[in-house]
Amino acid sequence: MNVFPPMQHERLFVPFLDEVDGTLCLPANATAADVHAQARAHRLRFPLLLDEAKTLREQIAATTHAPASCRFGPYCDNILGMNWRLPSGRIARIGERVVKTTTGYDWLRFLLHSGSRYGEPVDYVLRLRPDCGFTAIGRFDGDTKALRSCVSKLLHSGWMHWWDAVDYVTEGRASFVRVMIHCVPEQAPIFAQQLEHVAASTGTQLKLQNNVPPPLDGLPDLVIKTTPDRAIGLSLELAHAARRCVALCYSGVVHVYMNESDDLTERTQALVQPYTAELHTLGGDWHSRWLPATPPTITESAWLNTLEEAIHEH
Amino acid sequence: MTSPVKDSLEHQLKALLPRGRVLTSAAQLAGYGADGLGYKNHLPDAVVIPADAEELAGFMQGARALGVPVVMRGAGTSLSGGPVAAQGGVIVHTSALKKIREINTEGFWCEVECGVGLNDLDAALKPHGVFYPPDPSSGPVCTLGGNVASNAGGAHCFRYGVTSNYVLGVEAIMLDGSVHRFGGPAGGRGPWREDWKRFMIGSEGTLAAFTRFWLRLLPLPEKVWTFRATYPDMKTTEAAIHALVAHSSYPAAIEMLDPRGVAMVESSQMACGLPEGSFMLLVEIDGPEALVNARVESVAEILRHAGSQDVMFSDEDALRQKLWKARKASGGLLGQLSPSYVVQDAVIPKRALAEVLQLVYDEADAANIRAVNVFHAGDGNLHPNFLFDSRVPGELEKVEFISKRLMQRVIDVGGTLSGEHGIGNDKSAYMPLVFGPDSMRLQLAVPATFNPAHQMNPLKVFDNRHFIA
Repeated sequence: MNVFPPMQHERLFVPFLDEVDGTLCLPANATAADVHAQARAHRLRFPLLLDEAKTLREQIAATTHAPASCRFGPYCDNILGMNWRLPSGRIARIGERVVKTTTGYDWLRFLLHSGSRYGEPVDYVLRLRPDCGFTAIGRFDGDTKALRSCVSKLLHSGWMHWWDAVDYVTEGRASFVRVMIHCVPEQAPIFAQQLEHVAASTGTQLKLQNNVPPPLDGLPDLVIKTTPDRAIGLSLELAHAARRCVALCYSGVVHVYMNESDDLTERTQALVQPYTAELHTLGGDWHSRWLPATPPTITESAWLNTLEEAIHEH
Repeated sequence: MTSPVKDSLEHQLKALLPRGRVLTSAAQLAGYGADGLGYKNHLPDAVVIPADAEELAGFMQGARALGVPVVMRGAGTSLSGGPVAAQGGVIVHTSALKKIREINTEGFWCEVECGVGLNDLDAALKPHGVFYPPDPSSGPVCTLGGNVASNAGGAHCFRYGVTSNYVLGVEAIMLDGSVHRFGGPAGGRGPWREDWKRFMIGSEGTLAAFTRFWLRLLPLPEKVWTFRATYPDMKTTEAAIHALVAHSSYPAAIEMLDPRGVAMVESSQMACGLPEGSFMLLVEIDGPEALVNARVESVAEILRHAGSQDVMFSDEDALRQKLWKARKASGGLLGQLSPSYVVQDAVIPKRALAEVLQLVYDEADAANIRAVNVFHAGDGNLHPNFLFDSRVPGELEKVEFISKRLMQRVIDVGGTLSGEHGIGNDKSAYMPLVFGPDSMRLQLAVPATFNPAHQMNPLKVFDNRHFIA
C-alpha cells in the first residue's frame, strides 16, 4: 500500500541558480552568452559549450560531447534535469536538480539526444563548475607520429583528469594537438611546465596562449562516437572529405565540419557508410543533422511502440 | 518441508540447469532471504547458479514458461531491499559469471562479466595504471552486476561521478532468452536507433538479466592527500563543505560523520581521538604530484578558516588510512550496535544540509530511535542510519514514520529519494512524492516495454509492480 497518494501535478523546475550546488536552470533556448552571464557572477562556468550564438538546445541536439568532455564527461553527465514538452503539449519533469540520483528509470539520458522524436526540452538544469579565473590553450605541432605520441603522453598519466580538452585537429592536410587548461592563475606555471615536458619528450613544438577564451568550434555536421584509441585514425581518414575534423581524444568522438554545398546529405551519408559495420561492432554510433535517424530493427520497433504509447498518451 | 508445487518447480529447474546449480533446501535458501538491510526477509522458492551466459539465457527462456518471479542477485549487499524475492520465485545468483574478459588501456575500457567483484576489478586494473572510479563501501564484496543495477556511487563520487558515468555498454538477456548488446567499448548506441542502455543502468533487475559490461577507465592519480577536520557545530561544518565544493582543487571526496557517529566510533575499539560532540569532515584531493602538492595548503586553510582547530592531513598511506579510520569503521559498527537498521539515501541541495539533519535528529529523538549520520557531504547525499530492533513491536513502524517525514521534507527542499542505493522495496512507497502524473506514466512505461508482466524482480522500484502468472 502506498504511503503517499498519487501526485496530481508535475513538480516542474522553475528557473534558478544555486551557487552552492553549482546548478543553473534556464530555458533550452538560452545561448552560451546567457549561461555565461548568469554563471560568471558567481564564479561558475558551464564548460561544455561549442558555439557562442547557438541555443543550448541546438548544441545538445548536434552532439553528445564537447571538447571539455575530456574532463567533465558528456552532456548527459552535466545536465541534471529538464522540463520536457510531450507531443501532447503537456510538460513533464525529467531528472533532478541535485548532482546524483538513482530514483526511477533514467529518462533524462534516454531523451537528451533523441532529437524531437518524443517532444522537446523546455528548460535544462545544468551542472556548473568552479570558474578558476585562468584559461590557456596549448598547441602542439609536429608530424603525425609525434602528435599521436603527444596525445598518448597527455592522456596516459594522472594529468589526464586535469586537461579541460585534448583534441586532435585536422584541417586539410595539416594537423595539430590542442590542449585546454583551466586553473587558478598561480598554478598555471605547473600546467605549462607539464606541457613543455610533453613537447620535449615527443619532439613536438608547443605554443601556449594564456588568458584566451575556450575554443568554440561551432556545431559539427557529423559526429562519430568510437573508442578513444580509434578516434585520431578515424579523424585522419575522414579529413580528406571535410573542411575540418576535431577528434576529442579521450571521449573517442570525432566532430566533422563539412564544406558547404547543396548535397550535404549525400556527402555525409557517403562519408559514414564505410564505417557503419565497424561502429556497430564497437558499440559506437554516428549522428548528423543532415541524416535521418537510424531506422529501428523489428525488436526495437516493438519496444518503441510501447514507449511511444506512453509518451503520446493524453 | 516440501510441497507438490515446490517439488515440481525443483524438478523443472533441474531440467534447465545441471545438478548442483539448483538450490532448494531450507538451509541453502536461508542465505538468500535478505540483502544488506537485513530486517526484511523474503525466502525464495529456489536459487539457480548458471555457469555462463548461455546457461542463463536458457534459464530465462524456461523461467518465462514456468511463470515464476525471477530475481537477479550478485553479492546481495544492496541496502534497498533490491535482490530479494519479495514475491517468492527464483533467485539467479551470478557468482559464476566472474571473468574479466579484456582490459584495453589504449582505449580506456574493460569488458567484465556481471559477477566480477568490484575490488577484484580494481586489483586487476592497478598494474595497468588505470582504475574504475565508482567505489561503494561494499567494494570488497559487491559485484559489478549489482553496481550497475543500482547505479552505485561511493565516497569519491563528488569528483568522479557514479556508475552511470562509466558504463559504456551492457549485455542483457530478456525473458524470452534473447541476448542484446546495448552499446559496447565505444559507449554509443551500437546498431540501435535509441540508447537503450540508459534504461538498463539503475533498473534494479526489473528489466532484464545482465551478463557483461563495458566500462570506462581513467588513469590512476599519482598522488593523494587526505584531510581530517572536526567542527563544533553543523553551521561551521556546512560552511566548510560549501567552500570545498567551490574550490579549484576539486576534492575527490568530502565525507561527514556527525557527533552521534563520532560518539559511536569513540566508544568502540576503533576510537581515534575525535573530540566529543564534534562533526568530522574527511576530504581527499588527488592528481599529479606537482599539482596536488600545490593545493594542499589551500585546502587545509579552507578547513581552518571555517572553524576547525584540529586539521590533520597526510599523503602517507599509513597515516591516510588512520585518518579514514573513523569513517570506515562507522559502517561496520552500525551493524554491531543494533539488531536492525535502516539507512536512507536521499540527496538534497547542500544549502539544506543543516536543516534536514536537524529534522532527522528531532524526529528520531521524539520517537526514541537512535540516528547516526555518516554520508557523502560533497554530493548532498545523506545516509541517516536509524538503529532499531525489528523484534520489538512498533519499532519498525516508528522508523517508517520518521522516514516518511524525512522523505517529504527531502522532496520539499528540492531533493530526491536515492542517490546511489536504488529504490528496491525499501523506498518504493515514496515514489508518488517524486513523479507527477505524466512523469509517472513515463516511468511505468519502461518496465511495460521490457518486462510487461513484471516477472523480473516484482514489487521493486514501484510497489504496484505485481507479477501475475
